[in-house]
Amino acid sequence: MSPQIALHDPVFRGYFLIVLISLAAGGAVLAFLRFISKKESASMFKTYWSWIFMAGIGLIVVFLGRIPTIVGVTFLAIYAFKEFARASGLHRDWWMTGVVYAGIITVGIASLVAHPRAGEPGTAWYGFFVAVPVFAIALILLIPILRNRARGELQRMSLAIVGFIYIGWMFGHLGFLANARNAYGFVCFIIFATGVSDVAAFTFGKIFGRHPLRSEISPNKTWEGALGAFAVAMILPWLLRFSFPFFGTRELILTGLIVGIGGQLGDLSISVIKREIGTKDMAATIPGHGGILDRIDSLIYVAPLFMHMAGYYYPLR
Amino acid sequence: MKRWRYDSANDVERTPLERLRQFPREPDMLVYGLRSLGALIIRALLRVYHRFEIIGHENLRTNRSLVIVANHCSHLDTLCLLAALPLRKLHRAFPAAASDYFFQSVPRLWAAAVLVNALPFARQARVRQSLTLCQEVLANAGTILIIFPEGTRSTTGEVGEFKSGIGALVAGQDVAVVPCFIDGTFHAWPKGRRMPRPRKVRLIVGAPRNYRTRPADKLDICAIAAQLRDAVNELRLVNASH
Repeated sequence: MSPQIALHDPVFRGYFLIVLISLAAGGAVLAFLRFISKKESASMFKTYWSWIFMAGIGLIVVFLGRIPTIVGVTFLAIYAFKEFARASGLHRDWWMTGVVYAGIITVGIASLVAHPRAGEPGTAWYGFFVAVPVFAIALILLIPILRNRARGELQRMSLAIVGFIYIGWMFGHLGFLANARNAYGFVCFIIFATGVSDVAAFTFGKIFGRHPLRSEISPNKTWEGALGAFAVAMILPWLLRFSFPFFGTRELILTGLIVGIGGQLGDLSISVIKREIGTKDMAATIPGHGGILDRIDSLIYVAPLFMHMAGYYYPLR
Repeated sequence: MKRWRYDSANDVERTPLERLRQFPREPDMLVYGLRSLGALIIRALLRVYHRFEIIGHENLRTNRSLVIVANHCSHLDTLCLLAALPLRKLHRAFPAAASDYFFQSVPRLWAAAVLVNALPFARQARVRQSLTLCQEVLANAGTILIIFPEGTRSTTGEVGEFKSGIGALVAGQDVAVVPCFIDGTFHAWPKGRRMPRPRKVRLIVGAPRNYRTRPADKLDICAIAAQLRDAVNELRLVNASH
């Protein structure tokens, strides 16, 4: 991945066009809705402008190449963890948050540098990338011992471990995918398909939503929305087959399942955390979306599952 | 099993800009890291570019709350006073900054909130409210409040009249007040200049004083302000002892 390659890469150019067309189509639909129904749609437009902003940044970062992509994912993970820590009260604990930040940066480094003894092919250090949680958890468990304190430490350790594994490491897989031979196809498809299935869930839920999906977790999500998103996610791998021409039917089905079900689960699992803590959004960073964590929640589930599925059938690098 | 209690930040649902404006701020490891890094760079620049020198350093050595009172002719003043503090106290040191100047435009707001850890002080309206905020902050042991009681940067380099608010803040309070004189910043970076010039800058820290026994009536707070102004001005005469 580099700007020169991206300019001539049919997959990246394809996604550039697809993203532009989707945003234009979305804008047209919103404008039409406003024209037809004259309903209050300011909040939808705010969400839409944020989508344009995020799509722009995403395209630029992926265009710039492997290192900016991994660094960008690492920054997102750091910021998302910060939101989680602030919502859960862990942000008052310097040592726990410090160790998790260090762990997230280590995940980024393992995705960036090659194996020092050249034990693996390619540009990243897969063995270390997969092993980072061992070191991070060992350090987190060490903190109460060093502090000589037990009271309330189980809660802090648990929050730190969930924060690191879930937000730092699992989301970090998206950055690691930038090392794949088929990086443009994988990274662009994952981000685009997850985004589209999120929008589909929202749209189907708004139009057909009757039956609550998980009433005790997220009262606004419905079975209709989830099924709509699932259907869209099952079609997308075939529509966007140019991103991974070597995938057979089995892999395409698995990809659809991961995006369709994983995306919803990611959304719901962040909702569990929010419901338990008692906040509506993790933060108010992105107008119309909530926090960074509210936006990337589906990707957190989809990216690692997809990476390991693809890595099982084809060598990633 | 008992339910866990989550001590969430009280600004979770505010936008990043609103969060920069609010005071007191929530603890944030990333901001602390950035501030410490910035402080190291500023200290190095002051040493090299302004040959920065501190006299009477030992007067700042305490774990109790402090009010640092100094003359003001340049943006460098705040940086000099912060550079005199140990790094670990940096996040509990609050220079009072004019909210009409530092808390409006985004770049200034960012510098004030992240790099300097400024306390927004409304110097035109609601002065009383700002003073109450200062007193609340001082109630936590180990807080350092930096105040320029002239209320604005001097355009002549002389120490101007101190506003009586400083008297109202410290009268009857058991808090150490440290007068400081900053020498040379007027020539190094006066009001209205874009970039600082490489001139020598000295910081003279005076002996701490306490106004616990003074009542907070109108006459007395003006007297305290005048006394503090004289204390700061007298430090001008202290020469480098080494």
